[in-house]
Amino acid sequence: MTLKVAIVGCGKIADGHVEEIQKLGSRARVVAACDRELVMAEQLAVRYGIPTTYADASVMLATERPDVVHVTTPPGAHLFLAKQCVDAGAHVFVEKPLTLTYPESRELVEHVVAAKKKLTIGYSYHFEPPMNALRDLLARGELGDPVHVETFYGYNLDGAFGKALLADPNHWVHALPGKLLHNTIDHAIAKLIDFIPDDHPEVRAFGSVRRDKRYGDARDDLMDELRVVVRGGRTTAYLTFSAHARPVGHFARVYGTKNTAHADFNNRTVTLDIAPTIPSAVGRLVPAFQSAAAYLREGTKNLGRFADSKFHFFAGLGDLISRFYASIETDAPLPIAPRDILRVARMMDEIFEQLGQHRRSEMPGRASDHERVASPTAPLHGVDGGGGAS
Amino acid sequence: MKRLVTGSNGFLGVALVERLLARKTPGLRLLVRPGSERRRLDAVLAKYPGADVEIVSGGLGSPQEAARLLDDVGLVYHLAAALSGQAAEMFLGTVVASKNLLEAIAQKGTRPKVVLISSFGVYGVADLPRGHVVDESTPLEPHPERRDHYSHAKLRQERLFDEYRQKHGIPMTILRPGVIYGPGGGAMSARVGLRLPGMFLFLGGKNLLPLSYVDNCAEAICVAAEKARFDGDAYNVLDDELMTCDEYLRRYEREVERLRVLKMPFPIAMALSAGVAFYHRYSQGQLPAILTPYKTKTSWKGNRFTNAKLRGLGFAPIVPTDEGIARTFSYLRDRAAGAA
Repeated sequence: MTLKVAIVGCGKIADGHVEEIQKLGSRARVVAACDRELVMAEQLAVRYGIPTTYADASVMLATERPDVVHVTTPPGAHLFLAKQCVDAGAHVFVEKPLTLTYPESRELVEHVVAAKKKLTIGYSYHFEPPMNALRDLLARGELGDPVHVETFYGYNLDGAFGKALLADPNHWVHALPGKLLHNTIDHAIAKLIDFIPDDHPEVRAFGSVRRDKRYGDARDDLMDELRVVVRGGRTTAYLTFSAHARPVGHFARVYGTKNTAHADFNNRTVTLDIAPTIPSAVGRLVPAFQSAAAYLREGTKNLGRFADSKFHFFAGLGDLISRFYASIETDAPLPIAPRDILRVARMMDEIFEQLGQHRRSEMPGRASDHERVASPTAPLHGVDGGGGAS
Repeated sequence: MKRLVTGSNGFLGVALVERLLARKTPGLRLLVRPGSERRRLDAVLAKYPGADVEIVSGGLGSPQEAARLLDDVGLVYHLAAALSGQAAEMFLGTVVASKNLLEAIAQKGTRPKVVLISSFGVYGVADLPRGHVVDESTPLEPHPERRDHYSHAKLRQERLFDEYRQKHGIPMTILRPGVIYGPGGGAMSARVGLRLPGMFLFLGGKNLLPLSYVDNCAEAICVAAEKARFDGDAYNVLDDELMTCDEYLRRYEREVERLRVLKMPFPIAMALSAGVAFYHRYSQGQLPAILTPYKTKTSWKGNRFTNAKLRGLGFAPIVPTDEGIARTFSYLRDRAAGAA
């Protein structure tokens, strides 16, 4: 059976979805591109040979009757559109963030479950080779029990998307409750779900604006640095989002009771920290060479992936789509459990609530322009609740 | 009546504003993006104190936003377009923005005239014989999906304008500049070759380079606004004296900087393109198809060009190509020295 797939929302990320779906061959076929702005649907259709275009999702659903719809619009429309697709009998792949809030996300998940349809979300890094390797290490017991996780997500505001949102005060990102952070940090939070199983871990967050004010509008308030501490029953985590640290990093470190693993998502390497096993100065000489050998092995693995044409930019997205379609085709378990999607949504809500609380509580003339501490009850790293000098 | 300039803070936009002010054009309304860096535009405006210029901070994000710009406007110079980014960004910045502007114009009782700045990129020359003279009757690109995103978006923009002209009777004329160059612009058109890490891949050979010095292009816009028929007619915008890619590169190396140049004759470029396109397909897009036989034929097979139709309107370049190149390379030399 070939799944009939439709794309709703024909912005930049839609390219990645269509490219990865088209790699699945006879398993799926993109039958329609839909965008409120028909020109956008048309450009996607022309470039990828999609046979039909629509400006109205309800017309598209009634006409094409797709098996799966990928909702790749800005997140403000996700809840409405995804429910509409489910009501029309389609399974839904929704880009991240799932919706604007945790209650909305819960509403959507419950709606999908009640309709006996399937839902997944665009946590593409969750299935990139480094994340798959981390999960394998955990499953094989090589890490022991996870004690602590660090997840770092760097961002380049000089990139295409950063430039676009800074150029336009009406860009949809500025209307999100968590603004730029809302559109990005679930990539970092989603990396925690395999290591912190708690339903409701404690979250403490603070964010700041490091850029100089330039525009005199909402763009100046866009936070570009975020630190979060997460405390579960047995495992803790640090999450860092930084638009200023260079190089633009993207990694996760998992500290286990047996080993510590470092997964670099930019370079697609996973290595274990080396502990000296030989005493004395000689023991301090050896680990550097062992580390070098580990990176050599990772580089060789990547070379093999490249030779096998399995080193694409959207490798994780492709894997996720394939697993999601398999769950539809064979009624297998979903690649990302709805519970995990909701745990991420709840953590995001808590982070933005804490950032917003602090913003609202700032006293004119007291708060620094460059520091917005989010947790009024538990300040971190010695930054106080808003009165600190800039 | 006002004259609205979209994209007035861009490379060509600033030159157009200067030409309009030099021609003592009254009632200019300049659209600039909020928060954008305006040093070059401000420097031009400073030369004409007391000029009748209104700067409006905004965009073309919706027909409503565009409508606010059109009060009392009798002529629109539409230069705003996306110059880089992925396809969706190009289409949003170029086609959707144009559609919003056209929707707003269509709603007006008295519709302003529009001068659209398009591009040579809209022509479909890949399958035309080498040496074909590209004039305004040359067919438009039949396979935009095989071209770069910029050309695809500009072609769709032109078609959109034509749709609105036919449906709403919006008076318009279209200018198609070649390679716009000048101080403040880029150094090397892809028609000459491609900059790779540590080397310059020279692909243009002895092909003619369709140059348009930025001040000459601005002058062409002014002339067209005054004299074109506004019935959807199109004009190539080129300098009178064109040079070959080879001449351009040699002079660049003499006057700006030495490059490590790898010359690639057209047949070899075609073979390489076929290889790149094959690997792109074989690997399912693991590396981008930056070269394909179709793109290579379009860019480097070699055409000739004419601006006769524009000259028929009375256009004459205000800066000779030799002087334009000298000014441009002087700027680029200073920039390179500053960077070093």
